[in-house]
Amino acid sequence: MTWLADIRSSALVGTGRHPVPAPPSELEFRPPEGLSREELLLDQAALVDVATRAARRPDLLDTGRLPDPAPPDDAPLASADAARLLDLLLNQPPVGPELRTQLVADWLQLAAASGQRVPHGLLPALLALADARPSVAEHAHPAIGVRGRWLQGLRQKGSGRQGPAPDGSGPGDSGANPTATVDWAGLRTADATAELERLRGSDPSAARDRLHTHWDTLGARERAAHLAVFAINLEPADEDLLEKALDDKAKSVRDVAAGLLDRLPTSARASRMAARLKTLLRVKGLLRKQFEIDLPPDPDPSGLRDGISPAPGTGEPDRLGRLATIIRGAPLEVWTAAADRSTAATLAMLDGETRVIDTIVATAALRDDAEWVRALLGVRTDARLLGCLAPAEREQALLRHIRSGTAQPMALVPLLRDLQRPWSAPLANAVLELLAAKNGAQLATMLSAVLPTALPSDTADQCRRLLQRSDDYAPRRRVFRDVVQYQSFRQSLTEAFR
Amino acid sequence: MCFMGRWSEERVIGAAPDASSLAAARKLARPGPWSDTGSNDVLVWGKCQGSGKTPYQVSVDIAAPAYRCSCPSRKFPCKHALALLLLWAREEAAAAGVETAGFAEEWAAQRADRAATRERRQSEQQTDPVAQAKRLSDRLTLMDAGIADFARWLTDLVRTGLASAHNQPYSWWDGVAGRLVDAQLPGLAEQVRAMGSDIHARADWADHLLLRSGRWWAMTKAWSRRDQLTPDEFADLRVAVGWATASAEVHAAESLPGPWLVLGAHRSDDGRLQQQRTWLRGPDGTVVVVLDFAAQGQALATPQLAGALLDVTVARYPGSAPQRAMFTSPLAPRGLAGSLGEGCSIAEALDMESAAVALSPWRERHPVLFAGVRVCPGEAGWLRDGSGDALPLVGAAMDSLLALTGSHPVNVFGELEEGRVRPLSVVIEGAVVTP
Repeated sequence: MTWLADIRSSALVGTGRHPVPAPPSELEFRPPEGLSREELLLDQAALVDVATRAARRPDLLDTGRLPDPAPPDDAPLASADAARLLDLLLNQPPVGPELRTQLVADWLQLAAASGQRVPHGLLPALLALADARPSVAEHAHPAIGVRGRWLQGLRQKGSGRQGPAPDGSGPGDSGANPTATVDWAGLRTADATAELERLRGSDPSAARDRLHTHWDTLGARERAAHLAVFAINLEPADEDLLEKALDDKAKSVRDVAAGLLDRLPTSARASRMAARLKTLLRVKGLLRKQFEIDLPPDPDPSGLRDGISPAPGTGEPDRLGRLATIIRGAPLEVWTAAADRSTAATLAMLDGETRVIDTIVATAALRDDAEWVRALLGVRTDARLLGCLAPAEREQALLRHIRSGTAQPMALVPLLRDLQRPWSAPLANAVLELLAAKNGAQLATMLSAVLPTALPSDTADQCRRLLQRSDDYAPRRRVFRDVVQYQSFRQSLTEAFR
Repeated sequence: MCFMGRWSEERVIGAAPDASSLAAARKLARPGPWSDTGSNDVLVWGKCQGSGKTPYQVSVDIAAPAYRCSCPSRKFPCKHALALLLLWAREEAAAAGVETAGFAEEWAAQRADRAATRERRQSEQQTDPVAQAKRLSDRLTLMDAGIADFARWLTDLVRTGLASAHNQPYSWWDGVAGRLVDAQLPGLAEQVRAMGSDIHARADWADHLLLRSGRWWAMTKAWSRRDQLTPDEFADLRVAVGWATASAEVHAAESLPGPWLVLGAHRSDDGRLQQQRTWLRGPDGTVVVVLDFAAQGQALATPQLAGALLDVTVARYPGSAPQRAMFTSPLAPRGLAGSLGEGCSIAEALDMESAAVALSPWRERHPVLFAGVRVCPGEAGWLRDGSGDALPLVGAAMDSLLALTGSHPVNVFGELEEGRVRPLSVVIEGAVVTP
């Protein structure tokens, strides 16, 4: 279209400096005589304008860029009520952002449980929320249905990013390289550690063999980092490698090995530590028996090798630290054997030995020793100990602790936060009692994030009563309001999916 | 305008100026702070105890709709009016039957007075043919001078070259637009202002300005020969230069009966003015567009749902089809249509545009119902029909379109604008949906 090009350049430069082309003869458009250059140009511009608009042609789309249409959705659509509630949550949430996220996740789980799916029209808002909130993303499948997965596929293609595959397998798996065995030694330290960690997770002995094979060619930092990976799936068969590592030149490697051997009470090092501990324990008292614990002497070479701290160049040695090292390394049975009593009775003989009990708590939790954990919970409530118990038992233990009345409210916060939700009715009631108490407001605000989902629905009335206490402190009221809002919305959700 | 009955909660939500007002209103929408509430066919009123000593007096004209509240909020409607409407919509307050509160009655009376004065002034104008003729000739003289000035500006523009115009600041364009406004040519002024920003925003500014200059030039020529134009052609030109037709004149025109099917609607907000376009199709296939305007912060007329059938009569403004129209009777919804009817292919749509340009070269927007088009992602998105033809989309909510259609062929109603499609409604599984 040279005519248009000519008009364009004439117009750009200006008719003052550029001649105006004549219209092409095939258009059969003849300008009247006597027009100025400007009029001649503007006349033709008007003609081009109309011609352009009247002669538009469709574009042709490269078929390679066309997406395949979405396959049909086989799951039934969520009920109109359920859809309305999701619409409300997504587009005009009547609750705060945290509760909204929780309720959307609840909606998705209820939909999944009843085999229903999100209406197509709500998918964009839902997927946008899932981008920002992992807990929504986690439950997006299968409720978003075939159409939702199709949209996610398009979005990933559009943005060119390698997100998680639509079937839900994580992106971490993509790093697994089948030829890694060959060039593992060639990887950078961090990558090699990550690769070893993956292998340790799936095949502990293969990981052990690999590290053993390369042990002598690795630097100290690499040996320490790689050996630390053995915390995953630690087993008695690892003992040989760990014993070898106790002789390592580098202290960092020796420390890692000693720390891992602490978790193996059947190991040779544990027996050596048991022998050291026995010599330190004496039972005294006739009616009320009590342990008397000596502080360990300076370690011999074998003790040094096992990780007991040497005498410092100047000043006093850390004898309590040495004792802790010995307790952590020795089997806990040394104590019951020395006392010749049950675990609980043995602990009773340690009354007042706070530091020793602390070390025993750490040791029992580290070894996941159920018998000792239960006995220790009788004298100490500790998150590490609770973590060793099955959810139901953990809750029971915490409930006993709260009922004992000795619980520090603030110390309860991390313990309660970690519990599985919703709580059982007895625990919920016990906690509500604490919250409603005069000094419970701070506990309430500290637990505000978990309370809505932690309190079971049959506490709703109680929460409502607490909310209505008009003389109450505002932040606590806010916590109860959230709980009540969550529970009543949650109730509507359950009904909508019935 | 008309009695609409009790509003639904959705409708109240739709009237909120923003989400925060609505949230505030929800908090107030409980009987506690309210007293002296009541309603009748056109008014809802009540008093709301705020933080101050005297309660705020809230009145809402639900027919117009219009809002009034004695609170100092600059939101419109304010949270008090919204909360009152929410309570009323839920039938929790403002029951009918009580005597209208004094403040509400007073406000309604003032409004009625003002409306009456306005109408009286208009009818007085109409009843004085001599003065009217004088006003018309004064206006035409002013406009003629403005058009001549604009034509001169165009010849200057092409003489010095478009490249030098590209270097001009926005104020230069604004100055030209100001002169056009003074000459009572606000439609042209708006186009010149838009060019002042487009010329820096668009990559194809040179062609855009060249073609626009041609179109403006043609308008100046058409204006000077307006005596030779048909009434429809002249009416289209009037719209293009921005010479409004008085609504009384339109009212006087023939009213077309319904039911009118809502094909789709579009709301825009350029920061100063909100506009709402509602495309309707009558029983005989006539397509019209109803335009609503509101200043910033004011409430636009209630949007009509795409796919709704409206029992209403409309009167058309003069001009070529599809004409602008206004409602001339109370609106009564009469159910929802399951489809928008037969659509056309992309090639046919472009042929239609071509024919429409020949008929009315000033029109920039054409309503089209596409049949069996797939929504395809890429840039701003595309529509592609069964024959492989495609048109780019403009202003489309792509996520929503893709989620709704799954890229399956569907019927899409939209506006064809400069070779691009603005999708306004989609027909899916026997329902008309707004993306």
